[in-house]
Parts: sequence; structure tokens; C-alpha cells
Amino acid sequence: MASPSSPAKRRPPGPLALGLESSANKIGIGVVSMSGEILSNPRHTYITPPGHGFLPRETAQHHLVHLLPLLRAALAEAGVSPADLACVCYTMGPGMGGPLQVAAASARALSLLWGKPLVAVNHCVAHIEMGRAVTGAVDPVVLYVSGGNTQVIAYSEGRYRIFGETIDIAVGNCLDRFARILELSNDPSPGYNIEQLAKKGEKFIDLPYVVKGMDVSFSGILSFIEAAAIEKLKSNECTPADLCYSLQETLFAMLVEITERAMAHCDSKDVLIVGGVGCNERLQAMMRIMCSERGGRLFATDDRYCIDNGAMIAYTGLLAYAHGVTTPLEESTFTQRFRTDEVHAIWREKEMPVLNNIHSDAVTEVSVDGVSLPTPMAVES
Amino acid sequence: MTSDRTELAAAMADAADITSSSGWDFTCDYEVDCGSEEHAYIVYKTLAVDKELQPDKVRREMAVSGGKLLVHFEAVEARFLRASFSAFVDLMVLVTKLVEEYGDVRQA
Repeated sequence: MASPSSPAKRRPPGPLALGLESSANKIGIGVVSMSGEILSNPRHTYITPPGHGFLPRETAQHHLVHLLPLLRAALAEAGVSPADLACVCYTMGPGMGGPLQVAAASARALSLLWGKPLVAVNHCVAHIEMGRAVTGAVDPVVLYVSGGNTQVIAYSEGRYRIFGETIDIAVGNCLDRFARILELSNDPSPGYNIEQLAKKGEKFIDLPYVVKGMDVSFSGILSFIEAAAIEKLKSNECTPADLCYSLQETLFAMLVEITERAMAHCDSKDVLIVGGVGCNERLQAMMRIMCSERGGRLFATDDRYCIDNGAMIAYTGLLAYAHGVTTPLEESTFTQRFRTDEVHAIWREKEMPVLNNIHSDAVTEVSVDGVSLPTPMAVES
Repeated sequence: MTSDRTELAAAMADAADITSSSGWDFTCDYEVDCGSEEHAYIVYKTLAVDKELQPDKVRREMAVSGGKLLVHFEAVEARFLRASFSAFVDLMVLVTKLVEEYGDVRQA
């Protein structure tokens, strides 16, 4: 997708959609076109002090304050007025109830005020569609990794099927909570700060490795490393950097393993990583090695696209809208639990033409990478 | 649009009015002047979609009268009333701001 650097003036052809996302600690509002162009995509993150996570009530309060300024910014930056929009899209779930309600209620009000149809969007499916659009990956095995979700997904017969997933906490939750133990900053995100610290790690600490068939488990690893951290740091056996390094290597190896098995199941060579943890460059590097060994390609995006944003909701809503799907007001609820495979991905059945402008963007990046691997790693940082 | 703060204060004062013994002893009434019936209905329809999460503990009824949105809460315990009411008002403030910002576009 083109970056929002060319707003106003040049209106892309086809319908435009507004998307509102507020399922976790980010609130984002985006305007996109059917051709996949992002006209605007501002967002604001609720950042808590080191050592603290974000709680539903405070997070919802944050979103309530920032929604209107972000909406004004999204429309102004895109250079569009409400009359130019085809539909208003919002995240129906999954996510935290209070925060989700902010986008849901706002979308309803805007739909009524502007006389535009509503489209409720599944957050996980939106990550996948955004990833596909940005990288040009057509039918990849998808690893969706974030603070709330960890799933290995592949498309089959109208739905995104979950091949494997976490049986307890999400990988991002495991990293975030370990960052709290070390009292790392939550700005811009705890995961980013773990990634930076891990680069200085030298000593590998053995941690439990918990893959159960196609599923993974992280909560036991977290308990183990929490105890180890207190003990080993006190006795100077290792540094916080060593722990971050060891944790990342272990968690990511587990994810690569189940992704590789899904590739074998699906007979697929392409992997797409989406979700907030997906911008971790170490995870991308490990996955790229596995893909290259199988003669496959890795598709991934940077923080602009893989972290929650409004454009991914707008784009996915627009795909559904273009295939006649809208959400009646009475049904425009939100839900904390909403599995990826509950959505009928109607737009995949009719095989939409893949957005060409994006495709070329992503592929040109390969040569920049300079590696001998056939790896269209999308998007510069 | 003017959320009537004085009426809110009066309603809050009634909140702990324990006269009946039906179990729904904690009530609160809230009134918002939305300026026009059309706007009042937009706020009403927006907020009516989300049901109370614990219908056995808190009940919410809404109505539109003239340009006003009327809200009635009743709960079995004060803490449930307080939690539901405050979350509702926070959201309503945002919705009324959206109506203020974009409401005149279509009317004009």
C-alpha cells in the first residue's frame, strides 16, 4: 500500500472507507481506497509507566479522549469529507470490552450522522488482509503474533483456518510481562525495548520449550524466567540482556517450528507474519532462514502496518462492503471473543485481483536486502 | 447540545433512594438536551445497541422526548449502579461530541 504521503488532490478511484480500531491499547483511524491506497492512518497509543500493563477502564478512557482529534486528523490528512466515504468500518472483536466499545459506539454514531452503512470487522482477519495487501503475498501461511493473539492460519474454503495457536497467553503478552519484571519502558512498546536489549545478550539461558503438536504454551516459560530473573540477576549469573535474548530465541523458535509444520500441512511455500510482534526483526530473521531452507519466501511488514491501525479495519471492511456485506445497526455490537475462523471471507472466494500498485512496492525491496534468498521482505523502516 | 449538569446532580441525589423493596433499590435518572429530536434519536440508537452486561444486577431504560434523551438506571447495589452509570455517561459524552461536530453537516 502506498504510504499516506500523497493526500488530498489526487483521489484514488473506487470507494473509500473509514476504519476505527480500538481493541487494545492503540486507537487508530484510517481512510483507505479500494485500490489499497492509504490516504491517512493516524493512531495514538496508551503508554503506561514501566512495570505496569494497561487496564481496560483506563485504556477506554484514553481512547475516549483521543477519538475525536484522531478522526479530525484522519479526514483532514486524507483530504476527504464524510460525503466521500462509502462506509464506516470498526473492529467488532476480539479485544478488551471497554476499549472496543469506544470505536463501536463512535462508528454507529457516525454511520447515523453521515447516512453511511456500517461494516463490522474481525481484528485478526484485518491484520491478515492488511499484510496481504501491503506485501502482495497471495495465499501464504500466516503467523499472527501480537499482545493478545498467537495463531498459525491458512485460508481454505471461504475461511481463515487456525492450524495452531497458543493454549494460554499470547507471545506478545509473555514478552510484555517480562518487560514489566525488568521494568523496561513501555514506550514505544515493551516488545521493542526487549528486542533492543536482546541484541546485547551474549549468554543463552536454557528455558523450557513448550510446543504441543501444532499448539504452543508460553505461561510456564514466563513463570520460569520470572523466577530465574530474580535469582540470576541477584547473583550476577547473567544480565537482563542475556535473559531478553534467551527469551526471544526460545519463543521465536517455537513459533518458527509450528509455522514450518503448517507449511508442510498446506503444501505452501510462503509465510506472512502479521500482528504487533511481527515487526520484531529477530523473529523475521529466524523465519526467513526457515523459509529459505524450504525454498519459500517470507513476507513481513514494519510497525506502520503490523501494529494495530485504522487502515487495516477500513481496508478489510471495504473488501466485505464491495461484496455486499454490511452490518445492520442493531447487530453492530462488539465482542471480546471473536475467532478468526468465524468470518466468511467472501472476498477471497471470488478472488479479488491483487492490488498491483502494492505488489511492485514490496518486490522492489528484495534486491535492497541483497541476500541470495528469494525473500520479498516488504517495506523500508 | 447541553448535558444538563444540574439535573444530573439532582438525579444523583436520588440515587440512594431506598423506598421500594423490589430489590431494584438504587435508581438514577439522567436527562440530556440534544437540541433536536433527530439528534436525540441518533444518541439513543447509538447507545441502545450495547445491552447492560449484568441484566440481573443493573437495568437501563432509555427514551426520547422532544429533543431530550431520558435515561433511567436501576440496580440491586450501589456499586453496580455507579459502575454502569459512569461508563455510560463517559461514552455518551463522546457520542454527543460527535453529534455536535458532524450533526449540522447533514441538517444544513
